[in-house]
Formats: sequence, C-alpha cells, structure tokens
Amino acid sequence: MTTETVGSVQASDNGPTSTGSRSTMILGIVTIVALGVLILFGLILSPADENQGEAVRIMYVHVPSATLSYVGCFLTTIGSVVYLWRKSRWWEILAYASAEVAALFTAFTLITGMLWGRPTWGVFWIWDARLTSEAMLMLLLLGYLAVRGLAADYEVRAKRAAIVGLLLVPNVLIVRESVQWWRTLHQKPTLSLAGAHIEGLMLFSLFTGFIAITLVFIWMVIHRFRVAWLEEQVDLEGLDEAIAERRAEGALS
Amino acid sequence: MSTAVILAEATGTWPYVAAAWAVVFGGMGAYALVTVVRGRRLSKKVAPEKRRWS
Amino acid sequence: MLSDAWLIARKDLKLEIRSRVALNQVIPFAILVLVLFAFALDPDRGLLQKATPGLYWIAVLFSGLLAMQRSFSVEAADGVTDALRLSGLTPGGIYLGKTLSVAVQLLVLEVLLGAGVALLYGTVITGWLLLFTTIVVATAAISTAGTLFGVVAAGLRVRETLLPLLLLPVLAPVLIGSTRAFEAALSGTPSEGWPWVGLMSAFAVVYVVAGIFGFGPLMEES
Repeated sequence: MTTETVGSVQASDNGPTSTGSRSTMILGIVTIVALGVLILFGLILSPADENQGEAVRIMYVHVPSATLSYVGCFLTTIGSVVYLWRKSRWWEILAYASAEVAALFTAFTLITGMLWGRPTWGVFWIWDARLTSEAMLMLLLLGYLAVRGLAADYEVRAKRAAIVGLLLVPNVLIVRESVQWWRTLHQKPTLSLAGAHIEGLMLFSLFTGFIAITLVFIWMVIHRFRVAWLEEQVDLEGLDEAIAERRAEGALS
Repeated sequence: MSTAVILAEATGTWPYVAAAWAVVFGGMGAYALVTVVRGRRLSKKVAPEKRRWS
Repeated sequence: MLSDAWLIARKDLKLEIRSRVALNQVIPFAILVLVLFAFALDPDRGLLQKATPGLYWIAVLFSGLLAMQRSFSVEAADGVTDALRLSGLTPGGIYLGKTLSVAVQLLVLEVLLGAGVALLYGTVITGWLLLFTTIVVATAAISTAGTLFGVVAAGLRVRETLLPLLLLPVLAPVLIGSTRAFEAALSGTPSEGWPWVGLMSAFAVVYVVAGIFGFGPLMEES
C-alpha cells in the first residue's frame, strides 16, 4: 500500500490507470467469493431462530458492520495521532479513508438495526444504548469528515481534522459509557444476540459475515486511500501549475 | 399501516431481512463503484510516477 | 503557562465586558430560549416542571455556543491569531486562558438561567451542594471541549455551522450527566447524581490534556 515504493504493477511503464493493483484484484475476488458464501449460509442454509425468527439473519450483516465501524474509528484515531506526531501524510490519509468507510458501515449498522427492530420490537427505533451510541458515532464521524473536507489548504484541513480524529476514540468511549449508563437505569441493552441460541450453522453464518465484511472493509480502505492520495496529488499539481503560471507572468512583465 | 401489518403477517419478517441485506450489499457495491470510478478519473490527471501501488 | 493563561483570560474578559455583546445579546437570547420552551411545552400541564433540568442545560448549551463563537471570532479579526503566536505565550497557556474566560462567561449565564428557571418555571431548588458541583464540573467540561473545537473551527468561512456540528455530539455525555445530576438534586436523591459528576470530571480532564497538547500544532499552522 505504500506509494513510495515503485512496484511494477503493469507491464507498461505508464503505471496503473486505476486504484487497483494485482494484490487488490486478488483481494477483490476473494471478497466476492466470501460474500457469496455469506449469502449462501446467511440467507439459505442457516435456520431461523426460535425466538427472533427470520430476523436473526439481519444479525449476520449487522453485527460485523457494527464491529467494523468501531475498527474504522480506531484506525482514524491511530492515523491522526501518528500524523500529529510524525507529520506523516500516509497516516493522515489512512485516517481519512478509514473514517469515510467507517461512516458507511455505521450507516449500515443503523439501517439494519432499525430493520431488525421493526419486526422484533414493533418500532424502528428505541432508545437502546447500543443503537443510540452508534447514532452518536455517526455524528462524530460526520464532524470529522466535515473538517477533513473543508475547502482549505491541505495542512489546515489535515491538522484540524487530526485533532478531531485524535479525540474520536475517547469521545466514542465516553459517549458509549454515558449512554449505556443512562439507558441501563431503565432497561438492559436489548439489541443483542443473547436471545438467540447462536450455535452450529448460525454461528458459522455470523463468522462468515465477519470474514466477508472485514474483507470488504479492507478493500474499501485501500481503494479509498489511493483515491485520497490521488486527490492530494491533483491538488498539489494544480498549485504547482498556478505557481508556474504566475512565475511565467512575472518573467514576461 | 393496516395493509403493512397484514403484509408482514403474511410474509413474516422476510421483507425486513431482504431490505437489510439489500441495503448492505447495495451500499457496498455502490460505494465500491464510486470509489473505483473516481480513482480511474483521477489517475488520468496524475503523472504516472506518482501513482505506483505496490 | 498559568501566568500566560491568566493574561489571556483577563484580556478576553476585559474585551467582553467592554464590547457588551454578551450582556446585550447572549443573555437576552438565553432568556428568550427559556420563554420559547414555555411556549412549546404547555406550562399548565406540569411538563415544563418535569423537564426543567433538561431544558436548563439545553438553554446553557445553545447560549453557550454563542459565547464560544464569539471567543474565536474576536481572535480571527485583524490577524490577532498571528499576534498571539508572535507574543511568545505558550500554546497551552493560551488554551487554558481562553477556556477560563469561556468558563467565567458560562458561569454567569448559568447563574442567570438558574434564576430564570426558578422564577419562570417555579422550580423549587433543593440539593444545593450537588447543584453547585454539577454546575462547576459541567462548565469545566463544556468550556474545555468548546475551546478546543472552537479553535478547530476558527478562521473558517463555515465556522458558525461547523462548531455546533463538532461540539454538540461531543457534549452529549455532559448533557446527559448534568441533566441526570440536576434531576437527582431536585428530586431529593442526590446520591444518584454524584456518579455523573465523576463522569463529567473525567471528560473535562481528557479535554484539558488534549487541549494543552493539541493547541501547539493548531497554532503553528499558517
């Protein structure tokens, strides 16, 4: 994934014409196969749960999405810390890429959580501790992405976003803790697998979900990283061109 | 509302399962597609020596 | 660092007292929010009384946001940020000073809003010790986080919209904690409120540390 090392991705000398490389191609194929296996086990082979019925199948995509949304946040904070410490652009772009992918998975978690809640609780949303903290996580990520996407110089954007990113995990922890505490005064966390007897094929389906969706996550972060890298290059080149034009103007007058 | 309830009783929870999986798979596909297309478009603007992935 | 902080806080507060924006605009806004809540929730049905702790802290957050916006719009004008950087004050000191001045303004606001709630909503105030501690700790939490995110949003064209987006989700635990603590105090069961005070203290400590270290990189940018 390092862009400094010159690897011959294609036979020609022109470099890759996309964000793909041989390794991500292989990763992509493995991911698609894993998703196929997930559909096979999650939707067809695994049985319905005796308490939750067919709704338990939502869990096979919901639980991995939720886990990866937290993994993404963690990567963002690590990337931000290393950027502030070492001024490493590589880590900063990693932080950005994983924040965006984490936001996507947080959205999946929220939507699938609500779609699970409707048949199980009868309503789309209840102020369950986990759902609520996931919603807050979404808002925190949107804040980070808003700062990172500012129309400003790279330095300004990156540094300010890194401060927000640095505080992402502490914030998520404090928010989770407080929401859990607040809600458990009234009730136990409801959205869990505790009601379902997870064993046999169901356990295997959940396991497949974790593998498949983790592969998707890795593939997305790599590609999003490369897109962000290219964006910065385009920005820099645009700046260089503008400076060169100015210099040329100066030379003429 | 009432038709939705009748529909839900008739079909069980399958519509919700289908919707959830459709959102996740559709979302992943759409995001992957957008990312790849953006990458291809941007690649044209960047000098070859600056886009080497290993 | 502490003397730097004192210097900055005194400068900001002096500026605030002279400009009278807080007095003439922020405080009236806070009272307006209290009145608007009464319009929205029928005061005769006891809803207002039941929701008083939450409404009080929402009013503090919203009017506090205005005060925080000001704290940095003052700096952004006329290249004061550059002057601050050149002054040789430590970034940590500048951060603490700004936090202190925001905290003092918030405290004034909170006392006034408290009086407003007691008068307008007819809230019977009990549990003074817990109320007082909650106000102090919550103020510390709001001003430490507000100052840090204030400088993240400072000097940008979108800062008026960016600061609430960044700050309000982050302050959610403080809102939950301060509201529960107030409810506990007002319902005469203060022992339920103290754990929340602990949570908010931890929050404030995290932000003081992050602010002192994070202000350096933020100040040195162009």
